[in-house]
Amino acid sequence: MNKYTSRRIKNLVMMTLAYVALIIALIPLASIIIETIARGASAINLNFITQETAPLGQVGGGIGPAIEGTLLLVGFASLWAVPIGVLSGIYVAEFRDNIVARTARFMNDVLSGMPSIVLGIFAWIIVVLVVGWSVIAGAFALGIMMIPIVSRTTEEAVKLVPGTIREAALALGVPRWKTTLTVVMSSSKRGIATGILLAVARVTGETAPLLLTILGSRFWFAGLTEPTAALTLTVFDLSQSPFVSVDLPRAWGASLILIMIILGIYIIVRYLTREKYGR
Amino acid sequence: MSRLIDTGLKKLSSLLLKMGDLTEKTILLSFDCSTKGLDQFDKVRVYSETLISSSEEIEEKATELLARYQPVASDLRTIRSYMKIAYDLARCGRYAWDISFIYRRFNISYDECALPWLPLKDMMNEVERIIHTCIDAIRKRDLGLVEKIGEIERKIDKMYIESLNKLVEQPPIKTKCVVADLLFVRHLERIADHATYIAESLEYLITGQRINL
Amino acid sequence: MEGDMMSFKVQVESLNAWFRDRQVLKKINMQINEKAVTAIIGPSGCGKTTFIRCVNRMHELVPGARVSGKIFLDGEDIYAKGTDAVKIRRKIGMVFQKPNPFPTMSVYDNVAAGLKLNGVKDRKRLDGVVKESLKSAELWDEVKNDFDKSGASLSGGQQQRLCIARALAVEPELILMDEPCSALDPSATARIERLMRNLSKDYTVVVVTHNMQQAARVSDYTGFLYLGQLIEFAQTRAIFENPRNKLTENYITGRFG
Repeated sequence: MNKYTSRRIKNLVMMTLAYVALIIALIPLASIIIETIARGASAINLNFITQETAPLGQVGGGIGPAIEGTLLLVGFASLWAVPIGVLSGIYVAEFRDNIVARTARFMNDVLSGMPSIVLGIFAWIIVVLVVGWSVIAGAFALGIMMIPIVSRTTEEAVKLVPGTIREAALALGVPRWKTTLTVVMSSSKRGIATGILLAVARVTGETAPLLLTILGSRFWFAGLTEPTAALTLTVFDLSQSPFVSVDLPRAWGASLILIMIILGIYIIVRYLTREKYGR
Repeated sequence: MSRLIDTGLKKLSSLLLKMGDLTEKTILLSFDCSTKGLDQFDKVRVYSETLISSSEEIEEKATELLARYQPVASDLRTIRSYMKIAYDLARCGRYAWDISFIYRRFNISYDECALPWLPLKDMMNEVERIIHTCIDAIRKRDLGLVEKIGEIERKIDKMYIESLNKLVEQPPIKTKCVVADLLFVRHLERIADHATYIAESLEYLITGQRINL
Repeated sequence: MEGDMMSFKVQVESLNAWFRDRQVLKKINMQINEKAVTAIIGPSGCGKTTFIRCVNRMHELVPGARVSGKIFLDGEDIYAKGTDAVKIRRKIGMVFQKPNPFPTMSVYDNVAAGLKLNGVKDRKRLDGVVKESLKSAELWDEVKNDFDKSGASLSGGQQQRLCIARALAVEPELILMDEPCSALDPSATARIERLMRNLSKDYTVVVVTHNMQQAARVSDYTGFLYLGQLIEFAQTRAIFENPRNKLTENYITGRFG
């Protein structure tokens, strides 16, 4: 067999292996989604989404508070974590050779690798022991998780802005700080938004930090210093319930809602990062 | 570092030097024709025509270099000067041709007409000198010779005025001689003029200064 | 001497510039005439871009950069102690080698950027300035029906004219151009060159170029920089017909560089 044929065969073999590997890699994701839809779809109806939670084992009610709780927790977490993350990301990108910037970037990397349960304990000590099981504690813990993600993606987005754009603004007599806040920011808007959404998606699906901060609740939002429900925590609680026939389907239903929310966020991210004028 | 334009400039330079040598030859031959009655007028004519076509060739080549290379500074001045010098040399050749049969056309001879008090011989010598110095100056790009050319021209000019006066005061007997002599000195003076133009072009080429000798 | 200084738009005195410990400009002395185009030529690395960036105090933005000497703009030393570099830059417009319109802004916003970012909000005034600037930059006819089009969607030559309009909008005292045509095709280049000459009726223009023919076509005065020193500065026709310095002669006839 000549060289050309042997190369074609090699090519075919490698391609096949690659496809097989791809399919194998997709199997877990596909099976999770399929399983969740299969087992959870039956539990979902309007009541499920809008009603307060019944006690374990009791039929009826819904996971309305859990959905509300997750949204509120992520919302409050974003409220304080996003500005900090974005501003620190901008600082590190603009003053990259500065010792402060380098330290900040390093600490950021360390923080992003921190186990989420540790963050939970930290929040428990700092907030829960002072204020009690609360939304604030949960938002605090989730926020700490968000900061490194937002900061890093902001830094990358700002770094991508070409120096020529900055120079153009500086040459017009715009002071450095203003250049950063206006021209540079608007050019990196997309990247920053993407980073924020990725952080939100990540944190929506976290359980460990919430275990030690919000306690959980069957009722709607009762105040910042009061406990609250969350989807992830609810899935955990429901799946641990002894009343399997009643609560397990609800757990699947909650999981499905959770996955749908997170998937939704990723779809938005994909939309934002599409090539605008198609090359 | 050799440049694209250098080949063109070399060609132009060698064409010009050839022209210079031919001009000298033409003038000397034409003097012999007119003073010694040598029957070489056709040859002189051919030389003169060659000079004219050479100057056209130089002009074409120079224009090509200008269009293609957008030369500046010394290159630009060189090309400009070469074009002018070529024209002046061709004019000298044309006058030489006229000189060659100046007496022949009236059926008279130089010996009859060249009265001893007319400085014709001296003028011819000086013209030979001035042309030779010119060609030398072009070849060597010698600025020192430019002044010398100016001097010789002034001498020739003086002799020209002297001739005019003498032709009025003590003209030769035959009218034909008067006319021929007059034309002769006139042509000689014009050749000298063109020689000074050449010297001025050379000064411009080398120093960039425009002078009037 | 004071009187003399006022007759030149820009007077450069003993300008030195360094990148860390490497000296890039050595004791430059130059006078730039008002309402004329001055070209700065020289081989790569001779310091011409650094020079022009010293004039609008952009050179000092690079870490490790240092400047000494004086530059008088309309008689005032821009390097005098206490002078605000930002204010100086507002008086001087700059056009760069690669056209750099703000990508997230429309044509209108790009031109108005200099004014808007400096606090001007009056819509009428902005409209007027944008129109005038686009006209002066010879871009008006091509964009007048579509201001909202993104700045980055224009062709290279149009983008560069947009950058020129942006620089003109702040009514600068001086316009600096750093090889403005390097990234453009010949016909766009020709347009910009014509524009430069037209602009010089009202503005003082200094253009850095590595294209000698462009300097010859476009400028009234030319300065030749070599290894950080100003070798010769004269009227363009004098430099290109009969340069005084042998180095200049060798450079412009292509014997090196």
